Amino acid sequence: VSDQPLVLCVDDDEDILALVEIRLGSAGYEVVTANDGLEALEAARERRPSVVILDMMMPRLNGLDTLAQIRADPQLADVPVILLSARVQEEDVRRGLAAGADAYVIKPFKFGELEDAIERLLYGAGGF
Amino acid sequence: MGQSIESGTRNAKYRLRRYADYCEHRYIVVSSLPASSGLGPAVKVRLRSASAAWAAGVVGAVAIGCYYLIPAHAQDVLYVVIGLASVAAVEWGALRNLESGRHRLAWHLFAAGLLLQVAGDFTSGYWEIFRNAQPPLPSIADGFYLAGYPLLVAGAFAIPRRSSPLLAGTALLDTLVVFLAVLLFQWVYFVDVPDVSGLHSLGARLVATAYPVMDAVLLVAVGQLMVPSVLRTRAYRLLILSIALWVVADEVYALTSTSYNGGWLDALWLASYVCWGCAALDRSVAELEDAPRDPLARLTPVRLTLLAAALIAAPVLIVARRAAHDSVPVSVGVIAGLIALGAMGRFVGLIRTVDRARLAEQEVRREAEVAERLLRFQNDRLRELDRLKDEFVSAVSHELRTPLTSISGYAELLRLDEKNPERRRYLDIVERNAERLISLVSDVLFAARLQDGRLQLIVEPVDLQQLIVHAADAARPRAASTGVELVVRADEPLGVEGEPERLGQLLDNLVSNAIKFTPDGGRVSITGARDGDLVRVEVSDTGIGIAPEESERLFERFFRSQVALERQIQGTGLGLYISKAIVEAHGGRIGVSSTQGEGTTFMVELPAAS
Repeated sequence: VSDQPLVLCVDDDEDILALVEIRLGSAGYEVVTANDGLEALEAARERRPSVVILDMMMPRLNGLDTLAQIRADPQLADVPVILLSARVQEEDVRRGLAAGADAYVIKPFKFGELEDAIERLLYGAGGF
Repeated sequence: MGQSIESGTRNAKYRLRRYADYCEHRYIVVSSLPASSGLGPAVKVRLRSASAAWAAGVVGAVAIGCYYLIPAHAQDVLYVVIGLASVAAVEWGALRNLESGRHRLAWHLFAAGLLLQVAGDFTSGYWEIFRNAQPPLPSIADGFYLAGYPLLVAGAFAIPRRSSPLLAGTALLDTLVVFLAVLLFQWVYFVDVPDVSGLHSLGARLVATAYPVMDAVLLVAVGQLMVPSVLRTRAYRLLILSIALWVVADEVYALTSTSYNGGWLDALWLASYVCWGCAALDRSVAELEDAPRDPLARLTPVRLTLLAAALIAAPVLIVARRAAHDSVPVSVGVIAGLIALGAMGRFVGLIRTVDRARLAEQEVRREAEVAERLLRFQNDRLRELDRLKDEFVSAVSHELRTPLTSISGYAELLRLDEKNPERRRYLDIVERNAERLISLVSDVLFAARLQDGRLQLIVEPVDLQQLIVHAADAARPRAASTGVELVVRADEPLGVEGEPERLGQLLDNLVSNAIKFTPDGGRVSITGARDGDLVRVEVSDTGIGIAPEESERLFERFFRSQVALERQIQGTGLGLYISKAIVEAHGGRIGVSSTQGEGTTFMVELPAAS
């Protein structure tokens, strides 16, 4: 078991998933990926992640439902979740945050924004 | 003598000059009236017309007074003279006071009817003067008299009405019922009596029957005139009075014919003549026909009373006859039956009217229901379309953003590892254009929501000074890359009520616009200051400026200035449209002033937080 924080990255778009995996990997994170909500829950229950990065629109189990199940699971309830979505309307953002997301990053994103969000959730606002 | 002629001539000349003076004076007086007045002449005419009616009345009254001071034969002459004068007055009044032939018809008929009465008077007067006797029954005089009545009645009916056919029909039916009731009494007390049935000739019996019938008809004519909502003018009252006087005189004469000695009754007939003439002479005769009328047939209390009285006429008559131990003639039954039929007709008419009204109401209600259902359907459909459009816009936005995420993300990734400066520049271009596409997608989505009127602000206290500093900081790298100097002047807190994100978007738009349109080495300055109840923000540049004819259209959707197109300055034409919408949603104003080649200043005013 490494001491790198484990990030579970969930997206149905393979390209974006690969991009996040590469960037986070080179930034010193251990990354696990999943293509939809069901896979994500399975992976999270197998190994509890430090942070979950969750897309909204996915087949089988969408982001909001996955988030609800994470929050309902006593083992996972307090895992920080970042919603990473191309849905940018205020209602979507509000709904996501209301469902228990800790941050909302909109696509397309600068990698810096995502990294900031992860660090804030892992190490608190003060950082390091 | 010569002197007297001379003096006479001088006198005449003097008089002529006085007359000329008078004319001139009058002319001057008239011309000195203010043009807008117009009151003077109207008042004069009214006075003259009123005085004509009054004069006729006074002269008539004096003549009637004289009638009782002169010998019998002279009385006959004066009687005819008064009658003729009245006929002349009616004609003259009609010609003077009424304009068209249609309106004059009634009064021509009155005049003709009265003239026949005068002819009757003349004939009986002739008998009295030259034969020293009453005319026989029947005589030519009766012919004249009886021929006159229908004309008088026709006159009363010929006064133009504005009521609907239905209303006129109802009024006619009411009149008929009342007429039958009157006729009932006339018949029983004046026609079906031994005095008449004992007359030797058929002609005499017919004439004796005709008078009471004519009086009944004349009474009905009065009833017609009294149909509600006729304007109660003086002419109207005089006309009613004249007919009433006539009928009363006739009735009293019929009741007392055996003992009549030519006394006071003549005064009633003469007064009737005079009143008729006065009615025509009075100017208000013109308003008689312009009476505003009730659009609905109503059972007014007066009408109801009249109809009720008509209905109980027969029973009352029968009881009265029985009480007096008189026989009840068959005619009572016949006329009572006719009254019952008339009342029945009225009843049926009422029920039909109510039915029609109810049907019409049902029809209207059904139509309203259909219209309401249609409206609801259209509403639902519109809402559905709205929802679909909304979903479409947001889906398109989502679908565009997803591939853009990969494009810009991988370009960024490549650029980080790229050592070759030329390739790094190429990747920069890819990234920059991806940025453009992203902001275009954002603006289009935002504009679509604006157009739906769904820009709902989540308002909180905002310090505009901080937002200005933020916007300037964000724009600084880009300004630096084109050598544009960025100056911020906002020294005090600028509190407003607003949504920070939208206000930030507004400032970003204005500042990036200014930088875009300012050539290398230029300057962009942002100032913020409080001005009374307002917070004023100005973004000015030393750029290429805007043509005056274009500054009007600057805030329109997708508008791009000629210079922007020529110099290929990037943009979608949505930034200022969105900026304006944001400012207006905050209750503020945005404006622009520009000098071509020197620069442009955008001014924003927002209400300051209290």
